[in-house]
Amino acid sequence: MRRPGSWCLWFLLSVATLLTACERPAEKVHHEQIFAFGTLVEITIAGTDEATAQRGSTAVIRTLNELHRRWHAWEPSPLTTLNEQLARGAATDVEADMLPVILAAQQLSRASDGLFNPALGRLLSHWGFQLEQRPEEVPPPHPDAVRELLAQHPSMEDLHVENGQLRSANPAVQLDFGAYLKGYGVDLAIEALQQLGIAHAIVNAGGDLRAIGRRGERPWRVGIRDPRGPGVLASLQIEGDECVFTSGDYERYFDHEGVRYHHILDPRTGYPARGTTSVTVVHGSGAAADAAATALFIAGPERWRETARAMGIEHVMLVDAAGKVWATPGLAARLTFESAQPPEMEVVTLP
Amino acid sequence: MTLTLQTTRDDHRIAALAALAIVIHMAESALPMPLPGVKPGLANVVTVLVLVHYGWGAAAWVALLRVFVGSLLIGTFLSPTFVLSLTGALASLLVLRLALLVPGRGFGPLGYSVLAALAHMVGQFCAAYVLFIPHPALWHLFPVLMSAALVFGIVGGIIALAAQKQLHQE
Amino acid sequence: MTRADVIAVVLAVVMLPFLYVSFWGNEGVADTIRVHSVEGIITLPLTAHRRLHVQGPLGASVLEVSEGRVRFVASPCRGQQCVHSGWLSRAGDVAACLPNGVTVAVTGRQPRYDAINF
Repeated sequence: MRRPGSWCLWFLLSVATLLTACERPAEKVHHEQIFAFGTLVEITIAGTDEATAQRGSTAVIRTLNELHRRWHAWEPSPLTTLNEQLARGAATDVEADMLPVILAAQQLSRASDGLFNPALGRLLSHWGFQLEQRPEEVPPPHPDAVRELLAQHPSMEDLHVENGQLRSANPAVQLDFGAYLKGYGVDLAIEALQQLGIAHAIVNAGGDLRAIGRRGERPWRVGIRDPRGPGVLASLQIEGDECVFTSGDYERYFDHEGVRYHHILDPRTGYPARGTTSVTVVHGSGAAADAAATALFIAGPERWRETARAMGIEHVMLVDAAGKVWATPGLAARLTFESAQPPEMEVVTLP
Repeated sequence: MTLTLQTTRDDHRIAALAALAIVIHMAESALPMPLPGVKPGLANVVTVLVLVHYGWGAAAWVALLRVFVGSLLIGTFLSPTFVLSLTGALASLLVLRLALLVPGRGFGPLGYSVLAALAHMVGQFCAAYVLFIPHPALWHLFPVLMSAALVFGIVGGIIALAAQKQLHQE
Repeated sequence: MTRADVIAVVLAVVMLPFLYVSFWGNEGVADTIRVHSVEGIITLPLTAHRRLHVQGPLGASVLEVSEGRVRFVASPCRGQQCVHSGWLSRAGDVAACLPNGVTVAVTGRQPRYDAINF
């Protein structure tokens, strides 16, 4: 009698082959979480040996801490020294690597029509949002103080470079790159990794991230937090090199006499921008994505498309105050909504 | 003018079996499964019976007829559910074709039924994962669904054995 | 019933435990919480049922683990955002109290997301 047993094995093997056809092998990934840069930084590195990954995360932490030290807007730092000089109206030397960063921010501010305005450091300190821990009992600033500051129109356009020195034509200008530095920081961090030959990584600085390469056999998978819940609103796959930045009203806020005040201030009113819950920008440059997320948040559901166009941003998702999702076609096609009942979404093209 | 087709007794029997498969298919679609569109593959009983009596070609006809007509009747034609049924049917037909190559006495209805049910589930699952929900969490369902497929495969095999006896007595 | 039938059924039955091990072997399933603080890293099974007091620069953050979920119950920070984060249950969910330097992450061998944007 012939042996059917071996044949059975063949059939089960063919079943197993069908199985493995759609299975993916697990990839060894280096993962680290640290406090740096005044926030929680997550570093994920794939496709390299443990020693290189270790060196990579050390380089990222060093880069971000150095950036934090130099650009601190209220603890004594090269930036606070610069701000003192600018307030005095004096032309001042700026460290060689800081000047291009300031000028790039000036460009972004111009493109956003002043909605992204890092010259309004004084407004942030009026509101107390510069403090890592804003005391809850402090009330919003007096409307007169806000009005007085805005009447002076501090703007990035007041900054001029003369003979390599920076001067402000407006003593009210105080630079605060809070809405920009994370973006610049992840750009530098990814650059540091690439210099070590690392081609697959994510640097996530307090929720804003840049991803390069992929995770082994599959793209990186990024979850975008639900602005009104603990879970994930949508997910997105990234392959290559892209940043995902979100500005949300839930990130920093305080309540006073029953009113919630969040940290994204509208430079036109001096008060928290209304109408938007969160804006997510997917873009190649972290610095531009960071500035754009803030500017589009302030532009709001009515005007964000024009601002995105002006800033050269293609991939945007905006959640308005009613929870409705607006997205550009390019990003909408890539989003996977995670909840059982996906939110109402409108896909709109940029003008 | 009427067109008359010559039909044999076998044709009638295959048609009746196909109708039975369609009924089972539709009943199955009402079964709650953790993954929408994925079925335990009880309708494979009929495919197996046809395979044993009339060969693989007839079995393929019945299986595909069941998928197309069944989905037209339920109203899921060309929907994801339909695609899942079709991949399931194609996968089980493929495995049954291979199973026929076994020399000697080879498989009986029970073996065919188990193999068909498992292949059916693997095909559906892969289609669901690749085409509709490429979510890694889906894989947690896989062992559960395969267990269900095996149970239904064995139950289907026992039914097929009993039905085969009936057919022989006829 | 032929011998091939018996062998097919037996092999299929034997295959199932392997399927469970390879797809459920805690891979992807949220089974662990990792708490980072200035005190170091604490790892706990998600099935634990307890309250955890984690010391930070501001004082103790209180975490509650219950029924496969974890949350910040109380925190010495002002913003209380960690408490507002609510329950975490899925692999990859993270809540952090930045002022007190405490984070809690739900992990499995294979997290759902490689990064969370917020």
